[in-house]
Amino acid sequence: MREKREKREKRDKKKFKRFQARTCRFERMGVELIDWKDVATLQRLCTGQSMVLARKRSGTSALFQRKVKEAIKRARFMALIPYEGS
Amino acid sequence: MYPYEAMFLVDPVKHGEDAAATEKVVSALLEKHGAKVTRFEKWDDRKLAYDIKGHKRGIYLLALFEMPGANLASLRGDCELNETILRQLILRLDTDIPTYLEQCAKYQEKTREELESRRAARREDEEQGEEGIEDFASVQE
Repeated sequence: MREKREKREKRDKKKFKRFQARTCRFERMGVELIDWKDVATLQRLCTGQSMVLARKRSGTSALFQRKVKEAIKRARFMALIPYEGS
Repeated sequence: MYPYEAMFLVDPVKHGEDAAATEKVVSALLEKHGAKVTRFEKWDDRKLAYDIKGHKRGIYLLALFEMPGANLASLRGDCELNETILRQLILRLDTDIPTYLEQCAKYQEKTREELESRRAARREDEEQGEEGIEDFASVQE
């Protein structure tokens, strides 16, 4: 009985973890800027069709979302990442 | 004198295989406009995300320099006229060049760390997830 309860608690804990409030990854990292030359990171902030990921999905704070937007636009202009499509 | 960061997209076939000549075009242009170049990098010849002026590949040149603000417009104009340069992006930096380089290096390091930790977490989750299913089954019983 006790064993079962422990297992259930463990499972619920795991479930809860999924819904925990996320914090902005850039604030957590403690960086000052978003490097527009770092293609790999920018691509992870885009969807498969290279649309900018919404704040809701990426969890980025408002301040950094504006920087992300600027960085992606610069990288697109220099043909580092595509405007549309993959 | 203001700090600038500029990236030039250069035609890879204009000077044949002679990469030094292509680099020279840009560095001469910067010199002409009185830029004090602190860093000049050449990226590898890479594929473009989309065609620019009929080109599928290009060489990226990155320059960090200090230049009087009055010369900026003429530098841009010369870049437009130059046939080797396909596209250019000149940005004025908020901070001085050493600070900017420091911030970029920090960004690189932190993002790499983040990626590694995410990967580790996902791997852990997957391992635990399998256990979780087993757990769930046993609880159901």
